[in-house]
Amino acid sequence: MEFQVGSFKHLNIHVLPTNRFKTYSITLFAGTPLTEETVTTTALIPYVLRRGTARYPESIQLREQLDIMYGAGFGFHTVKRGNTQFVQMKMDVINDRFVNSEHSLLEEALNYLGDVLTNPLLENGSFREAYVEAEKSTLQKQLEAIINDKIQYAAERCVQEMCENEPYRLNASGKIQDIPHITGSSLFARYKQWLQDAKFDLYVVGDTTLEQVVQYVSQSFQLPDTATSIPYAPVERHQHVHSVKTVVDRLDVNQGKLNLGLRINAHYSDDNYVKALVYNGVLGAYPHSKLFVNVREKESLAYYCASRYDAHKGILTIQSGIEFSNYEKALNIINEQLENLKQGIISDEELEQTKAMLSNAMREILDNANDIAGFDFNKQFSGVDRTVESVIEQIAAVTKQDVQQIAAEVELDTIYFLRDLQEV
Amino acid sequence: MDVLNYPHVEETLYREVLDNGLEIIVLPKPGFQKTYATFATKYGSIDNHFAAGDETPLKVPDGIAHFLEHKMFEEPDGQDVFATFSKQGAAANAYTSFDRTVYLFSATEQIEENLMTLIDFVQRPHFTEQNVEKEKGIIAQEINMYNDNADWRVYYGLFEALYQKHPIAVDIAGTVESIYQIDKDLLYRCYNTFYHPSNMLLFVVGGVDAEQIIELVKSNQAQKEFAPLGEIQRFFDEEPKEIREQRKIKQLPVSLPKCMLGFKEAEVTKQGEELLRHEVESKLMLDILFGSSSPFYQSLYDQQLIFDSFGHEYNCSEQYAFSVIGGDTPDPDALIAAITKYLEETLQSGIDSERFEAVKRKKIGNYLRMLNSPESIATQFTRYRFRDCDMFNVLNYYQECTLENVNARLKEHFDFEQMAVSIVVSPTS
Repeated sequence: MEFQVGSFKHLNIHVLPTNRFKTYSITLFAGTPLTEETVTTTALIPYVLRRGTARYPESIQLREQLDIMYGAGFGFHTVKRGNTQFVQMKMDVINDRFVNSEHSLLEEALNYLGDVLTNPLLENGSFREAYVEAEKSTLQKQLEAIINDKIQYAAERCVQEMCENEPYRLNASGKIQDIPHITGSSLFARYKQWLQDAKFDLYVVGDTTLEQVVQYVSQSFQLPDTATSIPYAPVERHQHVHSVKTVVDRLDVNQGKLNLGLRINAHYSDDNYVKALVYNGVLGAYPHSKLFVNVREKESLAYYCASRYDAHKGILTIQSGIEFSNYEKALNIINEQLENLKQGIISDEELEQTKAMLSNAMREILDNANDIAGFDFNKQFSGVDRTVESVIEQIAAVTKQDVQQIAAEVELDTIYFLRDLQEV
Repeated sequence: MDVLNYPHVEETLYREVLDNGLEIIVLPKPGFQKTYATFATKYGSIDNHFAAGDETPLKVPDGIAHFLEHKMFEEPDGQDVFATFSKQGAAANAYTSFDRTVYLFSATEQIEENLMTLIDFVQRPHFTEQNVEKEKGIIAQEINMYNDNADWRVYYGLFEALYQKHPIAVDIAGTVESIYQIDKDLLYRCYNTFYHPSNMLLFVVGGVDAEQIIELVKSNQAQKEFAPLGEIQRFFDEEPKEIREQRKIKQLPVSLPKCMLGFKEAEVTKQGEELLRHEVESKLMLDILFGSSSPFYQSLYDQQLIFDSFGHEYNCSEQYAFSVIGGDTPDPDALIAAITKYLEETLQSGIDSERFEAVKRKKIGNYLRMLNSPESIATQFTRYRFRDCDMFNVLNYYQECTLENVNARLKEHFDFEQMAVSIVVSPTS
């Protein structure tokens, strides 16, 4: 499962030749530092790029091209990892052998992507004003809509409060307050800078070769000849928590959302990363985990109660939906599980089940083109070369003591509770 | 064992129906690490009135199929079968929908053990008064979680507005009140009726050997006794042609109003392959009209009446058929007016042939891309099999669909008497 690596200008190209899938999967990662000044303009870039290219100025023409490419999928997301903001563009197109296409669909897809990325529609030397205004509105609506999904909203708020003084408090899609100040020319200036500054990695998984992909890329990716490509900024190391912050928000909701933010002294690039994976698995990633069993199954307090490990940032979050009146009870049970892990109270079964589930998840990566690309990209981002096999080996070697050691350096930082408007 | 070849999509299925009626399908995917298996019963939230053989018909509380699904994971020894799956490295789950309940796992090791665990736990119900009571608190939280979800509320609101009697308008999980009426005896009645192997389908897809899997399941089933089941009768009150209400509004805090409209088809007579073809034609027709590459979509987006959340779908079965169209909008009434006007115009002009060809290509491509996912194959195959049709015919039906077909669908489907609207807005302070 080795990617062949090449490049075109400052775009790194990774190709995995395989005929196991019916499609070509294409992912482009573009990473720049996550900063207050650039987060919103950067997030807005893909929205405007997808509206029109020099070749297909009208959005409907661009969309028609996707239809003609047998319903090729095209999408983008903006995410944050550690101190980096990533614009990710994905394309998914059927392999030619299933349809009677006149041209190589891979070539057409890469042409499409190259055009969207580097050959946007320009009017008077900048983006079309109407597109910029429309997409500012779309982005704004998107940010305003976070509040509609209470689970997502609570998760956002918890991280926002916990990382109050860190770039990570920023939503990867930017800040609503910035949007009115963006103009067509300020966005275009940011776009030109972004093409220079970003670290670009393109992944292709499918029945092709590195040579073929590089050739197609060189046809349509009009990248600048020289680029500065800012290196990924490392995340700050573990800082001790002086006191636990508690925040309560009130909205007209039916269910309380309890979220905890914790600092964990293990990052993706650390030697103890796999041990931390196991720690999180025992704590709350599975239906056999301490949180699910104790909060949901034993006490019927919740439908969901789980933990998530963000290894690129070095934090852990716990989330649960509960009756408002069960806040204290749920919090106590959760704290008990955290404490038990510090005491090394872990059964053989808990450990074995967690290892089996983690190993399964690792092996399943190999069956999904996007996951294969994503896993390899972690290597580019973190600088650590892990293979699925090596991670599985390390998982097998983790002991209860290892998990306890991780627990010793986990610190509760923030408790966030979203509840109703009633007076208590 | 039957061998079913589908060369146009490069898949081969292996099928056997056992003596006890259980249907097994295996889809080998050479080179895949994982195996994904689903064990499904043709029993869902709409099956709330039934009898097996000569029994007296029974009407059950809302949400019982879903409740049963939750309780299935409980084992006689007090253990949770999730623990067993976890030990064997399998990620297990389950879901209940309108017409089926599905238990599944995904694993890369101990496939045979996991498959036996899957079959055995579903065939070993263990409901007690105590474990039934305990689940009520959990499901109440699940219901509350969905009640906070505005997208779910507006979607369901449309079902409630369109259907007067049909249980599709009843929430799959029931209500907090209805689940408190559920007891273990009712659960056993439902279980014994619908979980008979003759009402179930096992689908296994992944890096497996078909013959081996089928033999394994065969010998597992041979060791079990299943009393023969009388024919299952499912009772539905006759659904009037008319919709229930034209406009349903719910208040929830939302950043923008949500608006969905839909058309209920009064004539619902198709079955099997005919129904599948009907579904394919309808989906194609809707995508031509409302898809993101349509001029209409672009025009509404430019007016900022809709955003990326605007979409459409078509749901049909032997008993119901309706469309859903909508998304977030600053002005629900303006959106409704725009869609209405557009439909009136399109009904006059008919569908453009160039657009028809382009969207047809798109749907064909989407279908082929879907086949990349073992999970999608298992899910879709089961869903269609329970309606006596074959998912692998979809490609042919798209290819055979003509402009005349979609224009006919257009005329039949959009009857304004049959239209309802569901809206979610923030409470006015």
